Amino acid sequence: MPTTETFYEVMRRQGITRRSFLKFCSLTATALGLRPAYAAQLVQAMETKPRIPVLWLHGLECTCCSESFIRSAHPLVKDVMLSMISLDYDDTIMAASGHQAEAIVAEIRQKYKGNYILAVEGNPPLNQDGMSCIIAGRPFLEQLKEAAADCKAIISWGSCASWGCVQAAHPNPTQAVPVHHVIHDKPIIKVPGCPPIAEVMTAVVTFMLTFDRIPELDRQGRPKMFYGQRIHDKCYRRGHFDAGQFVESWDDEGARRGYCLYKMGCKGPTTYNACSNTRWNNGVSFPIQSGHGCIGCSEDGFWDKGSFYDHVTDTRVFGVELNADRMGFAAAGTVGAAVVAHAAASAIKRARKPGQFGDQEPDKTKGQGTAGNDQTGERS
Amino acid sequence: MSTAVPTVKRTAVYVYEAPLRAWHWINALSITILAITGYLIANPLPTLSGATSDHYLMGYIRFAHFAAAYVFAVGFIFRLYWAMVGNRWSRQLFALPFWRRRFWIELWHEVRWYAFLEPEPRKCIGHNPLAHLFMVVIITVGGIVMMFTGFALYSEQAGLGSWQDRWFGWVIPFVGQSQDVRMWHHWGIWVISIFVMLHVYTAIREDILSRQSLISTMVSGWRMFKDDRP
Amino acid sequence: MSIETPNGFTLDNSGTRIVVDPVTRIEGHMRCEVNLDANNVIRNAVSTGTMWRGLEVILKGRDPRDAWAFTERICGVCTGTHALTSVRAVEDALGIQIPENASTIRNIMQLTLQSHDHLVHFYHLHALDWVDVVSALKADPKATSTLAQSISKWPQSSPGWFRDVQNRLKRFVESGQLGPFMNGYWGNPAYKLPPEANLMAVAHYLETLDFQREIVKIHTVYGGKNPHPNWLVGGVPCAINLDGTGAVGAVNMERLNLVSSIIDRTIDFIDQVYIPDLLAIASFYKDWTYGEGLSSRSVMSYGDIPERANDNTAANQLLPRGAIINGNLQEVHDLDLRDPAQVQELVAHSWYRYPDEQKGLHPWDGITEPDFWLGPNTVGTKRKIEAIDEGAKYSWIKAPRWRGHAMEVGPLARWVIGYAKGIPEFKEQVEKVLTDLNLPVTALFSTLGRTVARGLEASWAVHKLRYFQDKLVANLKAGDSSTANTDKWDPDTWPREAKGVGTTEAPRGALGHWIVIKKGRIENYQAVVPTTWNGSPRDPAGNIGAFEAALMNTPVAVPDQPLEILRTLHSFDPCLACSTH
Ligand code: HEM
Ligand code: HEM
Ligand code: NFV
Ligand code: SF4
Ligand code: SF4
Ligand code: F3S
Ligand SMILES: [Mg+2]
Repeated sequence: MPTTETFYEVMRRQGITRRSFLKFCSLTATALGLRPAYAAQLVQAMETKPRIPVLWLHGLECTCCSESFIRSAHPLVKDVMLSMISLDYDDTIMAASGHQAEAIVAEIRQKYKGNYILAVEGNPPLNQDGMSCIIAGRPFLEQLKEAAADCKAIISWGSCASWGCVQAAHPNPTQAVPVHHVIHDKPIIKVPGCPPIAEVMTAVVTFMLTFDRIPELDRQGRPKMFYGQRIHDKCYRRGHFDAGQFVESWDDEGARRGYCLYKMGCKGPTTYNACSNTRWNNGVSFPIQSGHGCIGCSEDGFWDKGSFYDHVTDTRVFGVELNADRMGFAAAGTVGAAVVAHAAASAIKRARKPGQFGDQEPDKTKGQGTAGNDQTGERS
Repeated sequence: MSTAVPTVKRTAVYVYEAPLRAWHWINALSITILAITGYLIANPLPTLSGATSDHYLMGYIRFAHFAAAYVFAVGFIFRLYWAMVGNRWSRQLFALPFWRRRFWIELWHEVRWYAFLEPEPRKCIGHNPLAHLFMVVIITVGGIVMMFTGFALYSEQAGLGSWQDRWFGWVIPFVGQSQDVRMWHHWGIWVISIFVMLHVYTAIREDILSRQSLISTMVSGWRMFKDDRP
Repeated sequence: MSIETPNGFTLDNSGTRIVVDPVTRIEGHMRCEVNLDANNVIRNAVSTGTMWRGLEVILKGRDPRDAWAFTERICGVCTGTHALTSVRAVEDALGIQIPENASTIRNIMQLTLQSHDHLVHFYHLHALDWVDVVSALKADPKATSTLAQSISKWPQSSPGWFRDVQNRLKRFVESGQLGPFMNGYWGNPAYKLPPEANLMAVAHYLETLDFQREIVKIHTVYGGKNPHPNWLVGGVPCAINLDGTGAVGAVNMERLNLVSSIIDRTIDFIDQVYIPDLLAIASFYKDWTYGEGLSSRSVMSYGDIPERANDNTAANQLLPRGAIINGNLQEVHDLDLRDPAQVQELVAHSWYRYPDEQKGLHPWDGITEPDFWLGPNTVGTKRKIEAIDEGAKYSWIKAPRWRGHAMEVGPLARWVIGYAKGIPEFKEQVEKVLTDLNLPVTALFSTLGRTVARGLEASWAVHKLRYFQDKLVANLKAGDSSTANTDKWDPDTWPREAKGVGTTEAPRGALGHWIVIKKGRIENYQAVVPTTWNGSPRDPAGNIGAFEAALMNTPVAVPDQPLEILRTLHSFDPCLACSTH
């Protein structure tokens, strides 16, 4: 009877020697930023574990997270799929369709109860009876809840599953909601980004397989290892920011010299992601390196924070969009003018009615000191 | 000592004790620096030419902002302490007797005075009710908001696990996300600037028109009344 | 119970109803229902787009300069094409001219997408309709090597290479954890390849999975990442600095070399792996002639890949523009996308509301207002559909029409139009393939023809990639390194009201975005997308769309295993997130 094989066995039968297997483990450990001692743990884990089943569901999304995933260079996604996990359900690549596909969810739920990972790309809509995302004739929400019921943990891929993303942008016509709004009883690891970086995605999976636990998460449920700092904290253009050297308009001298993109609306200072370190597509570049500011794609609701090209972005309050500086200057100007006018009026009034308006000899009938008769200088 | 002599009417009261006055001017200075540097953080000066390593303009501006921010925050804490040990007027900044009918009546009177509907204001030893209201809302509440959002922003550079993060990091998801925090913090500049404009104007105006001293009070601590009527 | 559609199909909804939901190996969510007659031949086909996000609603009131980022998220598979379409629409509305380099780089981005998307579609979304993975286990690696070497000079073709792949596959299957291959239709009689061809294809399925990540690095260089690279109204965001101070912070020689080397390797991969595999597989399926649909009758292409910047005439587009209707290949009609009578969308059978649902609306006047309900003949309930009622509203896809005609768009449409126009690049390639496979020109109009046209186009695109990269360098040599025009960047320079249309030829076909700008904000935004055309439901007149038409009259070998349905649907490379947006 066929038994599930371990990662180590998989590598051995691919003709990989034990020596290079060990090297792989220590490289992986380094890539994950772990102490060398962890390499041994990695070896042990890879040698003994069968491939963990993964159900990868798709709600309202653009499939970009899947596209990103298959761009992973280390590990290669081929190796992830053939040797590390068992990607039993993923409607973008699976061979089966229709009821044969749906049967898989039921089978995995029952066979691997409490032992499979649920990966979610996209999110469920609640409007239109949930039928703006239909799977097998039913709302996606139902498939999601069923698959979640018996899983070990959930990975919320991308900004869709983590926050809601583009379909949840104002006015969110389908009432799309992130996974944690509808699933409350399972650990959820958010891996935001629109999409997330491929190697970040595979590293999160590899981490869980290797260490048999969920990576350390921040307040909002994101792995600290990749989302603990802002783009701005590790941006290579930061020197120009600190120096006060900015791109002032597209394709100007500053742009050609790689100055800071802050004035072009770069959201690096308000965005938690690994782009400025891990970079994209096996380290080739990342948005800022290629001349466009960060648009904040891994942040909650980044679509509704005003233009991608402003630093001081509009604030949406009570359904109106206001810009702090535009409003501020207008208000300060108005108040300034009012003050001048008020001062002038006060002066005129005082000149016209000396001794009456705010002068030494005021109207005798008026006036009650606020502090009344208990005015004292002593401490009370 | 002599009870036979009729009591002289008080024309001056010692209202603002020295530490409070010192705080006032330090605070005024720090807020001015915060507003200017804050504005420049959001809207940086034109690009400097020359070698990058020769410049640190944004760095200095931000440093000045953070330095002033710490002065502001420490000052605020000191001010809280002083409210406990200082005289009764030192408490006004943190206590608004909004439950008292009289407060609102007098506030209304003050509004009418500014609208030229009353010929003269009332006398106040502490703040007049209108100023009192603004000071509590803008300086106390507003100051707290600025400190919470400011330190939350600071925690982003201090890093996860820093004391700023542990104390104020929660503000970020509470408000939404980092950009929201920045923008609400940014709105603060305008709220406070407008307060300062009005505050300085009224301070000067009332010094001239009202029945008591204002500016010199914040210098010497003594409130001088210009008349002896109640 | 049979009815004639105005576009010439006989629908009969008696017989057995077969439901495929979800249709997998596509982008997004889709459902398909067909009626089989007593001989298991499809006599009625119903295709349903089963998702909607409302991007057109979300775009209202936003800054037009931001629109590219929103529309790019319509789809991560054809990533970038919506963004390009969007910046073109905004530039059209505001009369913005872009620098020559920007146009060239945009072409490079678009051709990179074409090459990548077609390649991945063939191996990862389509191949399993033709290739039996399990049968590959029976192959002789030596014979596989002989086969591979007889059709291509691709170096990774030794018997040992194929044996390793086969061993890996064997252990994978034996593990009992079949992963994505679980519950596939292995052994179905509709699979025709010998085991050796299956093994070769499976080996290349894995090899392509590794290689495809290389291609997209071109997007990463010019756009900062892939998927979802960055774009800019007025040009491209990447500045070029060849040898000045700070050149390392811009596109420089090293970056140009990186792109160049990727292009070379991609040319080799497509010409030495994809094309030989495609032709080899096709040669085993020559008898499977189904899937004609609208391809022989009504096809359309907007044209794309402008040779020179800022010239939107048909003559300046390297991918042809035009429409063929009623099967008359002698006449290629010109298109005017501003003409309110040409492109229109109808919603009589779509889950949207119009004031008058008998009439179509030109996209500048388009309305997107959801209206989900099911017809009286639905089997099941509102939240559990067992069989849909195609007499009522039945899809989230709108029904676009060109002068009232349902049209097929995509690589096949482009190649048919190029062929009909007699453009040598297209005509010669088509004729060569037909001769190689010994097939008449009519064979083009089929599921197989669609799949072959896509391959031809991938090869065309990657060679054009070389051409434009060289052109970029030539222009830099001539001293022009500008990449953006910022004259109209500031909204204060815009007219109070403006209307624009932008188009591209996306991998899946003709894509158009129509924008109305008012006081610096988006007043209306409408996208009519390739899969909106192909996946279109019926219109009030009863015309069926390209998916439904192509499924008609196809025999299904095993009714419980919808292999043939998947095969034909996949030949369009359906993208449902795109279609409904
Ligand atoms: C009256 C009080 C304050 C005013 C008017 C003020 C104003 C501002 C403004 C306008 C900004 C720019 C926001 C933007 O990016 O658009 C800013 C940034 C900032 N402020 Fe304040 N601020 C005040 C108090 C504070 C305090 C108490 C702190 C505490 C540490 C603080 C910390 C910061 C930080 C960390 C930033 C971000 C700077 C950067 O990351 O470059 N601020 N402030
Ligand atoms: C950034 C600028 C300033 C800020 C934030 C500020 C803030 C304050 C605050 C919070 C108080 C209440 C003190 C307390 O009750 O503890 C106060 C009182 C006062 N401030 Fe300022 N101040 C500023 C500038 C000025 C200036 C420039 C003047 C003089 C022209 C001034 C004159 C006064 C006076 C006269 C009082 C006492 C008001 C009264 O007696 O009711 N302030 N100020
Ligand atoms: N249909 C479609 Fe697309 C394409 N190609 C876009 O316009 O795939 Ni998502
Ligand atoms: S998070 Fe962004 S990239 Fe991922 S599926 Fe959603 S829209 Fe696409
Ligand atoms: S480019 Fe963006 S992330 Fe980088 S330093 Fe400038 S503002 Fe920060
Ligand atoms: S836009 Fe997204 S990809 Fe990275 S640099 Fe910003 S988080
Ligand atoms: Mg549309």
